[in-house]
Amino acid sequence: MKDNQRSFTEKVTSDMREYVQSLLDENRRLSTTVAELEADRDRTIEAQTALIERLSQIEEESRAFAARYVEVEQQNTNLANLYVASYQLHGTLDRERVLGAIKEIVINLIGSEELAVWEIDRDFDGLVLIDSFGIDQARWAALPLDSPHVASKVALSGETYVAGPSTHYDKNLIACIPLKLDEKVIGVIGIFSLLAQKSGLEAVDFELFDLLATHGATALHCTRLAVPETVQ
Amino acid sequence: MKKKVLLVDDSNTVILMEKMILAKGPYDIIVARDGVEGIAKAKSEKPDVILLDVMMPNMDGLTACAELRRDPETAHIPIVMVTTRGEEQNIETAFRNGCTDYVTKPISGIELLTKLHNILGVAA
Repeated sequence: MKDNQRSFTEKVTSDMREYVQSLLDENRRLSTTVAELEADRDRTIEAQTALIERLSQIEEESRAFAARYVEVEQQNTNLANLYVASYQLHGTLDRERVLGAIKEIVINLIGSEELAVWEIDRDFDGLVLIDSFGIDQARWAALPLDSPHVASKVALSGETYVAGPSTHYDKNLIACIPLKLDEKVIGVIGIFSLLAQKSGLEAVDFELFDLLATHGATALHCTRLAVPETVQ
Repeated sequence: MKKKVLLVDDSNTVILMEKMILAKGPYDIIVARDGVEGIAKAKSEKPDVILLDVMMPNMDGLTACAELRRDPETAHIPIVMVTTRGEEQNIETAFRNGCTDYVTKPISGIELLTKLHNILGVAA
């Protein structure tokens, strides 16, 4: 009986030892698994953080590209403005059409519906209105070169005039552009106002002023040279 | 697939400017010089969109716009008014006459392309 009891006790002890060992093994295995999962989790968090950062970078790049696109498109429009203006001025040798092109440039590209084009008349010693849009022609028909008017001063100085902010919306000229052949002024373009939706002059407008000053004058001059050929 | 755009304007400067802006996009361009020709070409060419100037000889853009809206053949065509007059009342008049949208002069390339994109669903 005692032998049986001992044998049983030994069996139970042995089983318990095996059971504890298996529990310890399972515990080690689970600890390893938890450690691996924690490492996975850390890697996932790291990857997620990197992705969020990358997404933020991409969003920033996208915003920068969008801004750049707008900028490039604006530059394209500006270049198109200059190309169209130049093309229109030199597309004809007919005086009326050149004057029409000057008016269209001022109306449609610069954005004004009140303008005057004067030419210098050496006999009169002043500016004579040769074309206009939206202004009182009689009032602006002739200006002596020694008059105090801005247009006369521009004709004498050959310098483009642009009104400052304080005079921007009154009825004075907001811009006055000399038409110059080389350095000789042959006329003046006066811009009296801007369209309601246009808040002020922009960089491209000043480019157009320069273009009108030289190419407008050249185009008008060429119409005079072309007259004898047309008559023949 | 290219979209057909009808430009109606009596100004060579504006037509050339619009052509240059639209040259970058998937557009076929047709030109008419006044409202009467614009209506005729809208009926014959069936454009996807019309850019219509306001001040024109023979028939102005507002009248042409109203005529196009009245005609079942052209009533569905989107019309973008191109106007020098950006004041609110002028814009309201344009919408009363049936325009879909408007752009003011001087024309901004990005504004025109964006509006056409919104109307036609094509990228420039």
